[in-house]
Amino acid sequence: MKRSIDRILTTHAGSLPRPEDLMELYRNDAPDSRLLPRLQSAIADVAKRQADSGTDIVNDGEFGKAMRRAVDFGAWWSYVYDRLAGFSVRTETAEKGRAAWTFGSKERKEFAEFYAEDGGMGRAQTGSSSSRMFGLTCTGPVKYVGHQAIRRDIEFLAPAIRGLGVEEAFITAVSPATLQILANEHYKNQQDYTWALAEAIGEEYKMIVDAGFILQIDDPALVDIWDWWFSLKGDTAGYRKWAEFQVEAVNHALRGIPEDRVRFHICWGSWHGPHTGDTPLKEIADLLLRVKAQAYSIEAANARHEHEWKVWKHVKLPDGKLLIPGVVSHATNIVEHPELVADRIVRFAQVVGRENVIAGTDCGLGGRIHRQLAWAKLTALSEGAKLASKELWH
Amino acid sequence: MRMSTDRILTSHSGSLPRPDELIEANRAREAGATADEQRFQEQLRSAVLEVVRRQQAVGIDIPGDGEFGKSMGHRVNYRAWWSYCFNRLSGLDLGGPGLYDAPPRRTRPGEIVLTSPADRRDRTTFAGVYNDPEGSVYTGPRAAHWPVCVGPVSYKGQAAIQADIAHFKAGLEACGVEEGFMTSVAPGSAARLANFYYKTDEEFLFAYADALREEYKAIVDAGLILQLDDPAMADNWDMVNPEPSVKDYQKFSMVRVEALNHAIKGLPSDRIRFHLCWGSWHGPHTTDIPLRDIVDVMLAVNARAYSFEAGNVRHEHEWTVWEDVALPDGKFILPGVVSHATNVVEHPELVAQRIVRFANIVGRERVVASTDCGLGGRVHALIAWAKLDALNQGAALASRKLWGKCDNTARPLPRLRGRSA
Repeated sequence: MKRSIDRILTTHAGSLPRPEDLMELYRNDAPDSRLLPRLQSAIADVAKRQADSGTDIVNDGEFGKAMRRAVDFGAWWSYVYDRLAGFSVRTETAEKGRAAWTFGSKERKEFAEFYAEDGGMGRAQTGSSSSRMFGLTCTGPVKYVGHQAIRRDIEFLAPAIRGLGVEEAFITAVSPATLQILANEHYKNQQDYTWALAEAIGEEYKMIVDAGFILQIDDPALVDIWDWWFSLKGDTAGYRKWAEFQVEAVNHALRGIPEDRVRFHICWGSWHGPHTGDTPLKEIADLLLRVKAQAYSIEAANARHEHEWKVWKHVKLPDGKLLIPGVVSHATNIVEHPELVADRIVRFAQVVGRENVIAGTDCGLGGRIHRQLAWAKLTALSEGAKLASKELWH
Repeated sequence: MRMSTDRILTSHSGSLPRPDELIEANRAREAGATADEQRFQEQLRSAVLEVVRRQQAVGIDIPGDGEFGKSMGHRVNYRAWWSYCFNRLSGLDLGGPGLYDAPPRRTRPGEIVLTSPADRRDRTTFAGVYNDPEGSVYTGPRAAHWPVCVGPVSYKGQAAIQADIAHFKAGLEACGVEEGFMTSVAPGSAARLANFYYKTDEEFLFAYADALREEYKAIVDAGLILQLDDPAMADNWDMVNPEPSVKDYQKFSMVRVEALNHAIKGLPSDRIRFHLCWGSWHGPHTTDIPLRDIVDVMLAVNARAYSFEAGNVRHEHEWTVWEDVALPDGKFILPGVVSHATNVVEHPELVAQRIVRFANIVGRERVVASTDCGLGGRVHALIAWAKLDALNQGAALASRKLWGKCDNTARPLPRLRGRSA
């Protein structure tokens, strides 16, 4: 995995804004004969645009993960249910909607009116392909059947990055901890269910790494589940136990995969909510470091987590590992000033060492903010990284 | 004016979320459908009392009236801080073309003119964002008409400002709070209207200064802190198309400072604070002028304290400006350490980090922690109050760090909202 040897490298958390016509093809469930050529050209375009805006470690914008409308917070995990056997829809679960996942949330209780009113201030909160999954339940043995889909993603990205002069490329895949959110009727307990999910999704991980790409595992659930399941009861011990098991599960999925081909992304959920229920990074940092990845991508640019750069003063980043802190965020329409981006990078560099920091985004920008803002933020990110490099390397 | 003598005090920029019933009543009143003015005033008075109480409960040291006397007829509203004065001034025709229907105007070197809101540089650069049907920059229903000046401007809002003052003072008294602030718009921001009466824009501006002086004086005479709201000082920059030279812009802005200083001449500067922001709409703000370029213009205002945005991602880095700019003796600042620009509620630790950065430069007693801009109309009511809560928790953490006998990390932290620290 590339690191910031003589300057601060840049990357992002994965999702980028899809072209309108690509979303329309997904929306209309277009046949492969129409979808695939456009998907391939869109991936080529988005790879080039990342390079043009100064991004060093690029991806396919997650374009192979179906997004059907411009506001969509869920494509990063909804994509996988076309790639997994063993799930079917249960109407009684569907009727519960999102509450089936967030039943134990203190934040959703305290801000019930806000969430009920979709923010109430004309700011879209939830438009999401997650809602297509309400009701989806595990009713049989879980099996990975997405080989063709991930092969397609790989085959479209590989030529797209040729000749761009980028440092490296990554592909995202969802974590077992996220997958185990959906209800289970088949396995005898949550542990068996999670383990089966880990074995299944591990096949996708392996194909990404075998193809020569960096694997990014998206695991917001590792931190989200505190608020969703445990916060109302204040059950910190229960959460801790749950999270420890999830780390074991993801490591099981990663068995045989070299650590230096893996980066691990956590975020506290990208919806535009208050996030007062987010578990502090310091509660989970030691567990995070147990994940067999070389790099950790973490939100650090939004108002709930910006202060947490200080955590790394007390938690030692093991030798050889990297941090990819978010230095621009989807949480505000305002485009970060490059000087602020530089300040944020320098703070991390001073704590963990400049060669151990890659500048990233809090979470995916696609689906969360307007496309023009997403690209302006990526530009601000690379401008800020240049300023920081100048300061850090003179 | 209270300063942070033994701990970091807190205040905010003025606007707070109006209760739904007041919004309903405002809407009816704006449409001329309020039969019983007396009853409306009673409703307003009890809403002001409640909002003073709530500020006190959350720990705000220097509260305002939430700008409740400045009518908002919709939950989403970005203009009440300015539009309130339309009915308090004579010489205006309220039936002019809508704000976004004005034609663009072009600036030439040495000759700055303000263009139309629709032709703002940020708005044209990010046309897709501003016209996004998903509405992330939604600023509420647009007014069909906007005022134009057609005659001599004079103040006729005596009854309105006296009612605002009476309601607020009753609220302060009931809560036993001694110091409270009331906002009033500055001439440079208020007079951004088409002028068909005065020979020059400067004459128009000074007429506004003379008229608004009455309101300023009423607030100060009542024993309240006067907060002068003047976003135009910063956001005019984006309204000059094409981008002018900084020197031309400073010159243009200094004329507006002269008008403002003229308006407050003879009023005790110790009772006046000044609020600057770059416009509170949820846009990208890439064309905001750096604070560094206008800080001297701001400090030329004869006020005791200066409130400005420092809690959003376009201006957070600007605390370093104060390393190079000498804050005159006796003056203090109210940096924004929580912002309307995101729904995410600032972590108290972040609030504390921001406060401490300022305190380390200008001195702890010269920082009152505040908000970027008004929270009312810009974020959901629950978010607004959660942010004020975070502001106070953060100020408590910062105070402990700045005055405490030992390092903050060695002491137990107060319990935070949600999970304990």
